[in-house]
Amino acid sequence: MLDHVNGIAFGVFLFLFLLVTVLGFAAARWRRAASLDNLDEWGLGGRGFGTFIAWFLIGGDLYTAYTFVAVPAALYAGSVIGFFAIPYSIVAYPLVFIFLPRLWSVSHRHGYVTPADFVQGRYDSRVLALAVALTGILATMPYIALQLVGMQVVLQVMGIGTSSDSWFVNDLPLFIAFGVLAAYTYSSGMRAPALIAFVKDTLIYVVILVAVFYIPHQVGGWEHVFSTVSDSFTSFNAENADAIATGAAAPKGTIPPPAAQWAYASLALGSALALFMYPHSITGVLATRNRSVIRRNAALLPAYSLLLGLLALLGFVAIAAGVKVENPQQSLPQLFEDQFAPWFAGVAFAAIVIGALVPAAIMSIAAANLWTRNVYKAFINRDATHAEEANQSKLVSLLVKFGALVFVLALSKNLAINLQLLGGVWILQTLPAIVIGLYTRWLHRWAVLAGWAAGMAWGTWLAYGVASPTQKHFGGPLVFLPGTETKVYIALLAFGLNLVVAVVATVVLRAMNVAEGVDQTRPQDYHADLGDPGVEARLDPEAPAHA
Amino acid sequence: MSSRRHWTLIGVLLAPAVVLPLWVPLYDHEDPTFLGFPFFYWFQFLLILVAVAVTVPAFWLSRQADRLDRVRHGLTPDAGDPTRTDGR
Repeated sequence: MLDHVNGIAFGVFLFLFLLVTVLGFAAARWRRAASLDNLDEWGLGGRGFGTFIAWFLIGGDLYTAYTFVAVPAALYAGSVIGFFAIPYSIVAYPLVFIFLPRLWSVSHRHGYVTPADFVQGRYDSRVLALAVALTGILATMPYIALQLVGMQVVLQVMGIGTSSDSWFVNDLPLFIAFGVLAAYTYSSGMRAPALIAFVKDTLIYVVILVAVFYIPHQVGGWEHVFSTVSDSFTSFNAENADAIATGAAAPKGTIPPPAAQWAYASLALGSALALFMYPHSITGVLATRNRSVIRRNAALLPAYSLLLGLLALLGFVAIAAGVKVENPQQSLPQLFEDQFAPWFAGVAFAAIVIGALVPAAIMSIAAANLWTRNVYKAFINRDATHAEEANQSKLVSLLVKFGALVFVLALSKNLAINLQLLGGVWILQTLPAIVIGLYTRWLHRWAVLAGWAAGMAWGTWLAYGVASPTQKHFGGPLVFLPGTETKVYIALLAFGLNLVVAVVATVVLRAMNVAEGVDQTRPQDYHADLGDPGVEARLDPEAPAHA
Repeated sequence: MSSRRHWTLIGVLLAPAVVLPLWVPLYDHEDPTFLGFPFFYWFQFLLILVAVAVTVPAFWLSRQADRLDRVRHGLTPDAGDPTRTDGR
């Protein structure tokens, strides 16, 4: 299974992979706590990460390997709308700046580990918390699966495991990589991805900076890149004019056509709103030491956006460099293999694969915490001790990763991509419960639930109805705005319905005097910071969670 | 100055970082190019820098606003000792 593999590239790759494996296991001893037997330590790294570590951790968490592979792939394929990842990542941080410190404060004061814990405390409804938790788990699972897809394309380009007929032998390297990841996440918890993120991000920065300065220079400069790509797309559009006219093929371009501007903007806004509803983003944020860490990072994290934008353009560079691959996702790794010396190609491949491990670890921890706190503790074992909670989370983190693995290998990769698309639509429907809940209790708990249900149902139904040249359902994230010829992002439409239903139902429920539950939070909890009563640097794991 | 005015100012500062990237017709053009990049691309890279530039003053304002908010909610202006990193 190792034919056609460059020995030097593979050697460097293996060395770096082994290095992060050692780091992952050693992380259990880093910033050592008395015990990892509770979720604050295992699941949130002791809630003690400062600005510097948080920058690596959250950056490594949000800018995933799949993003690094898929965004250049979109541009390589001539689908320039994929560049919406840039405005999306610009718009997200001012929003973070405003609302996340409030979530941090209230979560720290009440010992909330998950966003659904907050919803439970605020709205006094286990059912609403369950809805938020299940949405989070559902949206996270395919996201983990996609990290595997990112790893897979790198391994394919390296030539590992492509010559056998058995899918098991082909994918053995993936099994090994994920097995190792599962083992150190199990033993070190959140500390493992935090420590590995240093290596991951350093490698990524070096590789991308070298790539964006060296490769375009090799192929004749950016001006040449853009003109080559433009010519190539123009001739593609001319040759396929008939297919484009009937909708059997999509036209290619280097900038979005005017008709796609709403799509571009709505994808950016919808994704920005959804970003920090994902459990893994919130888990990363709750692992920070104080309120200022989050706000400082809102100013520092855009450095990654710059990186992502440059990386995206490598999709165009690949066209100019003459990279020809069937699967556009292989364009970036193939470009690296063609242009870099073997040892540096090994570094680049390792950067992407390690880049998949960090978010996969955090996502599985976040999903496991949701299960433990809002399903297991809320419904199955209400008297679970902190040690039982931690054990449950550790086991579920294994299950989640194994599930993602089976998903990608045995089922279909396309299914994972479709579900990830739906995940974005679904997770946005938890925004009213979480973000609006941070500011006001005016929305009634059952109204929030009704809005969520309406948004989920309509969003899923809209996505089901989208056909593409290659598939009949779930063909893309865009639909026509009802009554117009303008395409917009499904998640935003569903979110609009969600809000309308929540507001109308609140008015009705309040008029009927339906019980609204007891809010366990006080106004001052949303402003608490490190050092206030109840916000100790090291939480007492035996303190009641919902005091 | 009450915290409300601080927060309004923070909102005004951060608004361009939200509005400009979403105002696609503003930058969906080929020209003028810069170092070979179409306007569409280099303008969005510029917006990243704009976002950082407005977030830094917003950060300093938010620290003052937080202190005012804390007092309003019956907390001390500053929480604990910020240099303390753990309970030991």
